Amino acid sequence: MYGNLSITEDARSRVTIQEDPEKLSEFQAKIDAGEKIEPHDWMPAEYRRQLIRMIEQHAHSEIIGALPEGTWITRAPSLKRKLALIAKVQDEIGHGHLLYNAAETLGKSREQMINDLLSGKSKYSNVFNYPAETWADVTVIGFLIDAAAIVNQLANSRGSYGPYCRALERICYEESFHLKQGHEAFVYLATGTKKQRQMLQDAINRWYKPIIHFFGPPDKISVHTEQLVRWKVKMATNDEMRNQFLDTYVPKVLELGLTFPDTNLRKNNETGMWEFSDPDWDEFFRVINGNGPCNKERLAVRRWAEEHGRWVRRALQHPSESYRIPLS
Amino acid sequence: MKSLDPRINRLKLPDKTEPLAEREYWQTYEVFHQEKRGRHHVHVGSVHAPNAEMALIFAKEQFGRRKRCVNMWVVKTADIHAFSLEDEDIFSTTPEKIHREASGYRVADRITQFKTTQ
Amino acid sequence: MNEAITDLLLKMGDDALVLGHRNSEWTGLGPVLEEDIAFSSMAQDKIGHAIALYNILHEDFGAPSPDDLAYKRKPDAFRCCHFVELPIGEYDFSLVRHFFFDHAEACRYRLLEHSSNNRLAALARKVRGEIKYHVMHADTWIKELGQASTESRERIIRSIQMAYPYALGIFEPCQRESDLITSGIFPGEEALRQEWLHSVQSVLEPIQIALPQDRVEPVFGGRKGVHTPHLQALLDEMTEVHRMEPDAEW
Repeated sequence: MYGNLSITEDARSRVTIQEDPEKLSEFQAKIDAGEKIEPHDWMPAEYRRQLIRMIEQHAHSEIIGALPEGTWITRAPSLKRKLALIAKVQDEIGHGHLLYNAAETLGKSREQMINDLLSGKSKYSNVFNYPAETWADVTVIGFLIDAAAIVNQLANSRGSYGPYCRALERICYEESFHLKQGHEAFVYLATGTKKQRQMLQDAINRWYKPIIHFFGPPDKISVHTEQLVRWKVKMATNDEMRNQFLDTYVPKVLELGLTFPDTNLRKNNETGMWEFSDPDWDEFFRVINGNGPCNKERLAVRRWAEEHGRWVRRALQHPSESYRIPLS
Repeated sequence: MKSLDPRINRLKLPDKTEPLAEREYWQTYEVFHQEKRGRHHVHVGSVHAPNAEMALIFAKEQFGRRKRCVNMWVVKTADIHAFSLEDEDIFSTTPEKIHREASGYRVADRITQFKTTQ
Repeated sequence: MNEAITDLLLKMGDDALVLGHRNSEWTGLGPVLEEDIAFSSMAQDKIGHAIALYNILHEDFGAPSPDDLAYKRKPDAFRCCHFVELPIGEYDFSLVRHFFFDHAEACRYRLLEHSSNNRLAALARKVRGEIKYHVMHADTWIKELGQASTESRERIIRSIQMAYPYALGIFEPCQRESDLITSGIFPGEEALRQEWLHSVQSVLEPIQIALPQDRVEPVFGGRKGVHTPHLQALLDEMTEVHRMEPDAEW
């Protein structure tokens, strides 16, 4: 799962190395011809930096994303749901693993990435800083947030960096089961008893804003990304992806007689774009900067996991072994 | 800190942690996956593991839990040797070597011509 | 006769469900990502075994559905051993429990492959490979951590000492066990314990870890429906959502 790609693009720390213009144009030509860039290829320092940032945030989002859903692992209301939820959260961890490896091929170690996550230096998707208050929240995450993530990941899987594309291909394959099981659990609540339906409606109301926030701020206020588009690092704009998501999934919620807590949410048939009330982008920035309802807990749980796993990792360290960057 | 997750409430969550040391996550092994008997093992990714035995244990679930699989290899990343990308051009004329291709050997026209002259 | 088989199926199913539930508490919190994934798979396998066993009970012996068995019974109707009820503790305890339990399970299913109850025998053959991996996983970890650092060895030894009396509780005999033995369904808990002992010792001896020598009192009770308070707490938690609308479909 993933979102908010554009948000932490930090223009101030952008590397301004003067790249060799000949190499730069060869590099661009390769990308324009649809070829993939592989780990040991020459690449501009800024390309490397942006990819590390992006893949790393994506990896963090997966392992932090395991926490809101993990909230209900021990309480899933049937054996089937219990199995599905464990398998799903496990997959998110698996995705984190694949993505850390992909980022490692660019020269940043897993340890450095985890340290940057724990210190708050590196971000993850905002959506996981909100609590999963009831079982219905898990079904909303499993259906709608996963659907949003798939829109994002499918776009990125057509990008230019080989190891990231390969990881995303596998991730998208696995996410399709997530979406199905999320949708099923969602539909069971929607077509269930009055209480179940109310639970679900309440959860949709809670998650509406984070879902609108998911793809990041509108293009008109987000950081300029022309270069990243040319390098096929960013494959679609925030608004494009958000619109694609709303187009496909809003009807699937409405057909169940459920509603969104926004009377302005509707498709403008002239522009083809969805319109909605101002979702308070200030809140979005507050949350991403550490002040959401669950930021502190999420990081504290990750700290616990790293701290309690340390004796295991240390016991089996072989100092004589030299480390090599993984191949993919 | 009160969590909505009962599992988390049973942990004592720390406020601070020592940063991870470099190489705390072990070395990497490359994983090759065989989908069916009779097929090649195909490279699918890597795992961090302290030795080959553990690498196999990890690879089995990370790369074999979802898709069909009959066997796996793991190889220390450090033991993989590859050409330098600067040497990519050593392969550049391969497709032109027509004497190695079936399409380089055409006799139909010659046979037809031979028959017409008989 | 039926009561003897249902006892066996129920205790196996309850052990698998409760331990699967316990082990799933690690999902997302494991010591390394790779291990997180592996351990979580085994938790799912356990819950899968529970469902398969509950299904036999449901279809062949008229018991309630698997979900009702899992979500609607009071603790005293459960037949799991105390061992699986204990909280997950630190990772060394969870690994040692996994090691002891899965060796017992591997031995149990191996014996059941020849059971005169066809469905049990078929299930035993079906899960053979899965359980083989569980044991391989457990053995690898115990061998590694049992010899790696002073700390890891001490932790493993301490957890073995603590876990052993509870592990022996797996083999608490049932009242009607002689029926199972004479009818060729299952050769009994004592036969299983012997095999298990041999099996775990073959892993521990090469790394020079001994099982407790003194007379160890096994922790019994679970098979008679007497449980630790941990089970009540676990079930309260597990059924929290289900109880909101117990007759709804979720």
